[in-house]
Amino acid sequence: MVALAIVLSVVVLLMAVLVAGLLRSHADILKALHELGVGVGEPGATDGHSHDGQRRHGPTVGSEAADPVRVPLTIGPPLPGERNATSAPPVAGMTPRGDALAIVVTGGEGLTLLAFLSSGCATCAGFWQAFRTPDQLGLPKGTRLVVVTKGAELEIPGEVAAQAPEGLPVVMSTDAWSDYEVPGSPFFVLVDGASGRRIGEGVANHFHQVVELVRRAQSDARVFTIGSRSRGLVDGLDGPERELDNDRELIDAGILPGDPTLYPSSLDDIYGPPGEERRRDADRPPISRAG
Amino acid sequence: MAVLSAHGIEAPLPPGFEGRIVIRAAIGREVPYPVANFSTFALPADVGDFGSGAVTLMGPSDIFATLFEYGPESLGKPLFARQAMPRALTASDFRPYVLRRGLNGQSGSQWFFTEAGRPFTLYVVLGSHVQRTLLIPRVNDLIGTVSIAPNLPSMATVTPSSTQSPQVSPAPVPARSTGAPWN
Repeated sequence: MVALAIVLSVVVLLMAVLVAGLLRSHADILKALHELGVGVGEPGATDGHSHDGQRRHGPTVGSEAADPVRVPLTIGPPLPGERNATSAPPVAGMTPRGDALAIVVTGGEGLTLLAFLSSGCATCAGFWQAFRTPDQLGLPKGTRLVVVTKGAELEIPGEVAAQAPEGLPVVMSTDAWSDYEVPGSPFFVLVDGASGRRIGEGVANHFHQVVELVRRAQSDARVFTIGSRSRGLVDGLDGPERELDNDRELIDAGILPGDPTLYPSSLDDIYGPPGEERRRDADRPPISRAG
Repeated sequence: MAVLSAHGIEAPLPPGFEGRIVIRAAIGREVPYPVANFSTFALPADVGDFGSGAVTLMGPSDIFATLFEYGPESLGKPLFARQAMPRALTASDFRPYVLRRGLNGQSGSQWFFTEAGRPFTLYVVLGSHVQRTLLIPRVNDLIGTVSIAPNLPSMATVTPSSTQSPQVSPAPVPARSTGAPWN
């Protein structure tokens, strides 16, 4: 009995030492995080945005505000205001046959439909099959179809070559997937060459859905181009510049930060009480849609 | 800036240019060699080596250029005596009658040369002869940065031997450069 008590005492003592060590380690980690500026409720916390447009969590390193040092820490994907969501960079890479191919999707008059596909995904197989009869795709006249797969480091060129129809440009480029922020395959991006912008993007299970997406994006782009005075569209602004431009338009219209109209809590806050909408519209000058 | 690189040819593409570097499928018993096509407009998938099917799509401000490699049997021939690709063309280098297919208003320039032991022709088409002074700087931006690597061993002239391992014959180098443009 005495032996058992001694053994238990030793075990309890060891456990106490272990717990103390863990607490000490935890405290060290918290202290290190605090020094890095990622602690919660840090008094010196900034608004979370750096001067270079990168989103960072936490304040600057060091408690002295006089000499701030930014923590190179980015958490999560870029926020909408930080993304260049409509830019359309060239697509360049290798073909499945080992040739080089670069396609510029801006500058011309027509549309370019970028089909981001994989050789292995089951849904993509239907698209590969559909592309074998390009005349029956139903795309608007003048639409250029380009298939983009990931690069040879993530795809097997032989398998892509086996699926790729003759005469269809197929570019293997992982960079293009990053440039266009492709979440997965299949994914389609429609670029308007004249404006040099992405005017539509999305996923689909069948190609007739893609054709519908193309038609809808085409008509939407036409409406916004005709009806908007926004510099965001006219000057091709995007990302942070576009947000700044929108802010300027709102300020010019008398809508300042904190304006209650920016925080509607009900539909009445947006459209006004029933019956007042018509009267308000008659009093108010027309405001174009921003960016 | 997109960079095209394949078959021993590397071409950083200036803004607005697209291109391809391919070895097309052989027709009959021919041995195809690399061809690089560059354009400021959408290249059709079935564009010919020298722009057939593409030059008819050009607008006045468009440019089409081809870098076409010939087989090793052309090395040392007087036509390819010029060493190195021209890197800066001038307005006087372009003539409307140099076009392989005469199209109204267009202008062309063609040069045969040897670089890195490989025989090539450079063929450039401008959408407008009248606007050539505006278009030539863009052409020079393109051809000024193209680099050509020496022949790959698999593409070089191989002298088989029954007793020794195959030897790669060095490309014959002309004694002096007497090459001239095709115009």
